[in-house]
Amino acid sequence: MTSKWLDAYHDPVASLYTFTQCLTLADIQADGDWKLIIADLGTGSYDMKLKVYKNTNLMSEHAIIDLPTGVVNFYMDTLEPRTPAIAVASGPYIYIYKNLRPYFKFTLPPLSINQIEQELWEQAKHDNINVFVLRDALEGLRSDGQLLTVRSLKFLQLESTDLEAFANLHKHAPLKRQTVITCLDTLKKSLADEDAISCLVVGTENKSIYILDPEAFTVLTTVDLPSIPVFISVNGLYDVEYRLVVSCRNGCIYTLKRGSKEGSKYCIELNSQPVGMERINKTIYVGCMDETLQCYSSKGKKLWTIKLPTSITTMKTLDYSPRQLKTLLVALSNNEIHMYKDKYLVDVIKTEGVVTGLQFGRFGREDGTLVMTTRGGGLFVKILKRSAKFEEKDALAGPPISQNQKINIPKKTKLFVDQTLRERQNAVAMHRTFQRDLYLLRLNTARQYVKALDNSMNPISSDPTEPLKLSAQIQGIGPTFKLTVNLQNTSLSQPTSNLIITFNYDDKLYSFRNKFIEAPMLVPGLNYAFETFIDCLNEKGVSDNVKVYVLKSGRSVPIITGVISMPVSEAVAVA
Amino acid sequence: MDPMFLAYSYFRRRKYQKCDEICSQLLEKNPYDQSAWALKTRALTGQVYVDEVDVDEEGIAEMVMDDNAIATVARPGTSLRKPGTGQGLPSQGVRPVTNSGRPVSGFVRPGTQSGRPGTMEQAIRTPRTAHTARPVTSASGRFVRLGTASMLSTPDGPFINLARLNFSKYAARPNLAKALFEYIFHHENDVRNALELASLATEACQFKDWWWKVQLAKCYYRLGMFRESESQLKSAIKQQEMIDSFLYLGKVYVRLDQPLRAVDIYKQGLEKFPGETTLLTGIARIHEGLNEMDDAVKFYKDVLHFDNMHVEAIACIATHHFYTDQPEVALKFYRRLLQMGVYNTELFNNLGLCCFYAQQYDMTLTCFERALSLADDTTSGDVWFNIGHVALGIGDVNLAYQCFRMSLASNNDHAEAYNNLGVLELRRGHIEEARAFFQASFVLAPHMYEPHYNFAALADQLGDLQSSYNAAKRAVDAYEGHVDSKELIQQLKQHFTLL
Repeated sequence: MTSKWLDAYHDPVASLYTFTQCLTLADIQADGDWKLIIADLGTGSYDMKLKVYKNTNLMSEHAIIDLPTGVVNFYMDTLEPRTPAIAVASGPYIYIYKNLRPYFKFTLPPLSINQIEQELWEQAKHDNINVFVLRDALEGLRSDGQLLTVRSLKFLQLESTDLEAFANLHKHAPLKRQTVITCLDTLKKSLADEDAISCLVVGTENKSIYILDPEAFTVLTTVDLPSIPVFISVNGLYDVEYRLVVSCRNGCIYTLKRGSKEGSKYCIELNSQPVGMERINKTIYVGCMDETLQCYSSKGKKLWTIKLPTSITTMKTLDYSPRQLKTLLVALSNNEIHMYKDKYLVDVIKTEGVVTGLQFGRFGREDGTLVMTTRGGGLFVKILKRSAKFEEKDALAGPPISQNQKINIPKKTKLFVDQTLRERQNAVAMHRTFQRDLYLLRLNTARQYVKALDNSMNPISSDPTEPLKLSAQIQGIGPTFKLTVNLQNTSLSQPTSNLIITFNYDDKLYSFRNKFIEAPMLVPGLNYAFETFIDCLNEKGVSDNVKVYVLKSGRSVPIITGVISMPVSEAVAVA
Repeated sequence: MDPMFLAYSYFRRRKYQKCDEICSQLLEKNPYDQSAWALKTRALTGQVYVDEVDVDEEGIAEMVMDDNAIATVARPGTSLRKPGTGQGLPSQGVRPVTNSGRPVSGFVRPGTQSGRPGTMEQAIRTPRTAHTARPVTSASGRFVRLGTASMLSTPDGPFINLARLNFSKYAARPNLAKALFEYIFHHENDVRNALELASLATEACQFKDWWWKVQLAKCYYRLGMFRESESQLKSAIKQQEMIDSFLYLGKVYVRLDQPLRAVDIYKQGLEKFPGETTLLTGIARIHEGLNEMDDAVKFYKDVLHFDNMHVEAIACIATHHFYTDQPEVALKFYRRLLQMGVYNTELFNNLGLCCFYAQQYDMTLTCFERALSLADDTTSGDVWFNIGHVALGIGDVNLAYQCFRMSLASNNDHAEAYNNLGVLELRRGHIEEARAFFQASFVLAPHMYEPHYNFAALADQLGDLQSSYNAAKRAVDAYEGHVDSKELIQQLKQHFTLL
């Protein structure tokens, strides 16, 4: 199969640390040359940057103060030329860039502060209470389940020596409780055009979703959710009708409509944590942590589930309008990207690393471009071939192939038929003979069995008080052999002691270096190995049996006996 | 009567001892009587003669220190060391296998009992009895054991003192040289001197005698110089096509692990000697070794076409039918063996099993009784084991238990009996015993998948997931297609990842 993709760019050491949410493609200079905008997480604690790639060159870099959680581009005005703005969500703020310049910083509305906490800090400010009292009081509040401000939480984490300095540094500033943005998306306001003005849709850590007005930056709508949103999918128009599909950290997916104030009405409960959610037309695709890709209708009905070979790292919709192609890209941890059209796997892209960031769209002047960033920091760009065709083939349809394989059952022979005939004719006689023989056999067996028991000729003890098992092995090629006697106590709880191992052999043929072994107490279930060397005295290639007896002191009859046929000593050949 | 004539008569009637005595008397009278000397060498050789062409067991040294292997990872179906996935082969769940993963043969011959050991430890361990213990090298093993008999019988020193022999003198006299060579090779088992004599003799006849070339090849073969052996045999065949040479060349290729080449050689021989059963048997054995049962049976049937008394062919075909769910056909073949006069434990045991599975119940137990009465120490264990199977078949667990215990009493290392006892103990609810039995079974016979799986299943139930996983993996190693083990592993893996 020839690849459906052209390799456009390949940089395995681009040192990018980013995710699908932090990638976007936009025509930010309105010159028809689309740029790639990446919010780079830097080292994960500092050195965060907003990077803009023009074609494959880094065009500009802007430092970001906190970890970015999402990047979108949107049109916020009707001015010509139509340059979109970039919104970068980071902490409780949204930074708006226009023409690659910082334009505006939006702060999420502060949350209400616990009254007692407020008072405590107030008192601390006037030095009415010392820091230890403050700490104890805050600790009490926290254990009551009250939500505290970041400052209080940080304060509680500190060592007691650092408390004073921290309190002195921060106590004069007004106390604020802020939340953190978890996800970001856009929603067209009143027109569905490509360059129509869009609202920002923001999901936050305090289980709310805000829809922001793009011109005035005021909160238009607030919706509270039962859990913290992690992925949002938006469609519709704010002024007309819209629908938000939000998957949350409690493993549920909620559907919100215009006008609804809380979203628990339409709810899909997943059986595993979602790692990616996309919506194509009216179906919702969810990739879960249990290595499955699930599909739901917008009403919340489960349509199908596919088990994937490994875990999913990220997902993204491929929307290629020139070909009316809408498929789902699923990046897996085995260095592959699977492309699904409905439930059919239509393509597999092999990558050089585990892909963590995916974006498909227009880049440069090319319509169908796939941008991938990998866990190792690489940046790869592929272009969809114009000739590529994705045919959906249902591999699952019909019965499995193995069902059509013929099983090799031998035909019943004529002989068999003759024999059954005989059986039918002489059934009674045959049965009688068999029964008589069986009785005889039982008797015979029982006799021999008793004889064997009497002689203790068994490697397994039949005495219920001394349940033992013996096995012996001979190693070596002669003239010296090594005999290993393995003893095991097979009882459940009863240890055995006072056991002696000795041997019966022809002393003209063999000489044992250790003829008498005293076994220690045998703990149930463990295997004890006892070893001795045997020298073969005969050089004529004769061999004999050797018997191993396990005796209990004070009893003349051995408990168990093992018989070993000695191999022929090969010393003759060597000599 | 002329003593020389009498000696010849004895020789031809294979009364070598008497022939030897008369020749000794003649030689006492006239030490330079060449005819008596030659006859005596031949008589002494005849006493210990082994058909060289017949398969010989590979010794530990050959196997562990093999430096003739061409490819360490041979393609499937081209090596006897790693038999490929044969066609027409019943699965391991139906037909048990030997150590090497090859199905048990219907006919015990050297090399069928156990395959190549994986490690030195496995090689020097002789878990079973001495009769399957492997010799250190093939050069010692059988030949020495047979040779020792004559060493004991001549207390006053050897008949011919090799050290004082002038080989070049004898080499020039073809009438004596051949007898002398065979004496050195077979009776004295002194391959190096035999080789010297042979090389001098072949030179003496200007390399025109194919016989000497074959003998040279035999010597080279014994010394492990297979390539030299091969070239000698090829040149001998060019000179004179003989069955013996073809067989020997085939044997050389088997040792070089080129089974397909060996088959070619046998087929080449068959063109010259159509219907030669030894060549056909050779091909059949190689197919059997490569796990290609269908082909093997085809050739065994060809053998029977030319020689309908061929025991090996009958036995192998019977076994094949038995394991491919046609016990009634197998029964017919075994009955044929019985009619031919084979009368031993193994045959009655097999007859009993065939009768049982072909639903001829009235004869089943009689056969086993016969088998038991004929059995000696080495075979009674297996007979008891099979009776135990019949007992399981009719649902008499108690009888089965006793039978398996009897099997162990006569053969302490009967791994299959240990396994079955374990299952019976498990059904009685004696978990510790069952565990111990399974353990004993797989320690004794690591190539069997059943005890591994049983142990795994038991450990799984007891919650010892680690042991269960390890045992199940061993079961899959032993038998790749075992579905239950694979399912267990899958289950355990899921369990491990869930935690």
